[in-house]
Amino acid sequence: MGYLNNSVVTVDAILTKKGRELLAKGDGSFRITQFALADDEIDYTLYNPTHPSGSAYYGEALENMPLLEAFPNETQIMKYKLVTLPRGTSKMPVLDLGYGSITLKQGASLSITPQTLNYLGGNQTFETSGYTATISDVRLFNTFNGVGVNTEQAQAANSTTTIGTNVSKTVVGTTINLTATTVNTLFGNNTQLQATLTVIGRDSGARLTIPVTITKVQ
Amino acid sequence: MSFKRLDPQDFVISADSITNTLWSGDAVTLDSFFTSSTQEAGSSGDYYLSIYQTASSDSTAKVQFDIAYGNKLGSGSIAYNSGIVGKSPTSTIYGQYRTMVLGDENTDFAIGDYTETEFIAVPIERARYKEGLFPGSLNLTLTVGSDTIHITDNSKDVASITFVDAGRKFELVSGSNGAAYSGTGYTAASGSYGWMLPDIGILLLNSKALEGSAADGGIGLNITRANTTNGATNTSTFDAIVDGSSFKMNSQETITSDFIFVRARNAEFNYSENPSYISGSTGEVIYDEFINSPQSYITTVGMYNDNNDLLAVAKLSKPLLKDFTKETLVRVKLDF
Repeated sequence: MGYLNNSVVTVDAILTKKGRELLAKGDGSFRITQFALADDEIDYTLYNPTHPSGSAYYGEALENMPLLEAFPNETQIMKYKLVTLPRGTSKMPVLDLGYGSITLKQGASLSITPQTLNYLGGNQTFETSGYTATISDVRLFNTFNGVGVNTEQAQAANSTTTIGTNVSKTVVGTTINLTATTVNTLFGNNTQLQATLTVIGRDSGARLTIPVTITKVQ
Repeated sequence: MSFKRLDPQDFVISADSITNTLWSGDAVTLDSFFTSSTQEAGSSGDYYLSIYQTASSDSTAKVQFDIAYGNKLGSGSIAYNSGIVGKSPTSTIYGQYRTMVLGDENTDFAIGDYTETEFIAVPIERARYKEGLFPGSLNLTLTVGSDTIHITDNSKDVASITFVDAGRKFELVSGSNGAAYSGTGYTAASGSYGWMLPDIGILLLNSKALEGSAADGGIGLNITRANTTNGATNTSTFDAIVDGSSFKMNSQETITSDFIFVRARNAEFNYSENPSYISGSTGEVIYDEFINSPQSYITTVGMYNDNNDLLAVAKLSKPLLKDFTKETLVRVKLDF
């Protein structure tokens, strides 16, 4: 007879920038209701299913790796979520935006309707809860909104006004509408503005980041 | 698929009392004391004397506590206006503490068995004591010449706690670690050596008891009551603390923590959206072994609201293997 391992992993959490913002708002939006797990920093190519010492050693390169402390920037952490899928899944959900990159002229518009491949066994291509889209620099667009998801939470996210300087903005929808900025002064002496657009499936956790370029109309 | 809702029983709120050393650098005992000539010569020097743990010019110097003599009649400092008797920095200090501690402008300090109209206040810097002083931890040595007294609070000798308008109040007595050496710890002739007010981080020393001779339980502390100079009693008290060279006390604070129990069942969170988990652009799992025996490594726990905003995040010290044969319980601690 041996002792069972009854240890509980205890970790200290930090508030993210977003968490501090919502805590300061004091409107009840700082209310933890759900969690997700992620494997940020893990490189699965280090997993070695042909390790000569056997299966107990397949993950040896990963299991003792030192991890960095948590980043308070919510856009730089929880990037790669762990997902719950049926056993036997051979293909992971992946996003298809229809674009590998986006280039728009000043004032031009574009609508993106993300699809999720391999989602729910391939029987469905659109996620029920929609998608979150985050533009890394909100100044690049006159319009940046999501449509198609009418939950209270989604509408709250879409109605949030982000002002000020180079900050990100996140919207929720099944379709994301973009209209490039017409403000010339943002360009300075440059002919292009650049940012990234990150889209995440709200159900699948699938994530895709593509570059965005706005070109100045001379 | 990537978010899991928490149940009400997954949340536990815990309030824990934390004690710590009081002084900068986590020093258990403060045995070196310094003042700032700039502060002493400035307008604030008329009222109080700030004490540092190192030379005030040192970049690490921080105020540890202050010394302020208060006298109801304004004795011991120069009157604000020579034509108005009794209004001086010491009377201001007295009134300030009377309002704060007693909450009654018609009452004086009943220290031990005596009603006193003067005292030496030792307010501890707020950053040092955090929420309050820890009763039973005070050990202050005062020395004047060959006379020495070891002062502590009587928190371990009293059966019930006395309250004033500033919260809990303990008598300062001759003893150590919260208990008198013998009896009440002070002589009837002088009254106790003052009050400890842990909830506002202040010691009030009984100047008359300390002023008395050794035979009367005092140390002959020089109390200046003339109206010809400011801060003389503050300086003599500082000298007695320097010569005693031992001031020990702990802080006490209540840390409120949210514990959130994160439970991943055996069939949950076994696959990953990590790009290195996928081979090619169509989403194939990188290793065939992962199709029926997927393995993932938990490194990060994210706490979200209903709007999927990431509110708090925690990192594990090392990756935690998760597969269909394992369940995981992570206790996330969130301090406020």
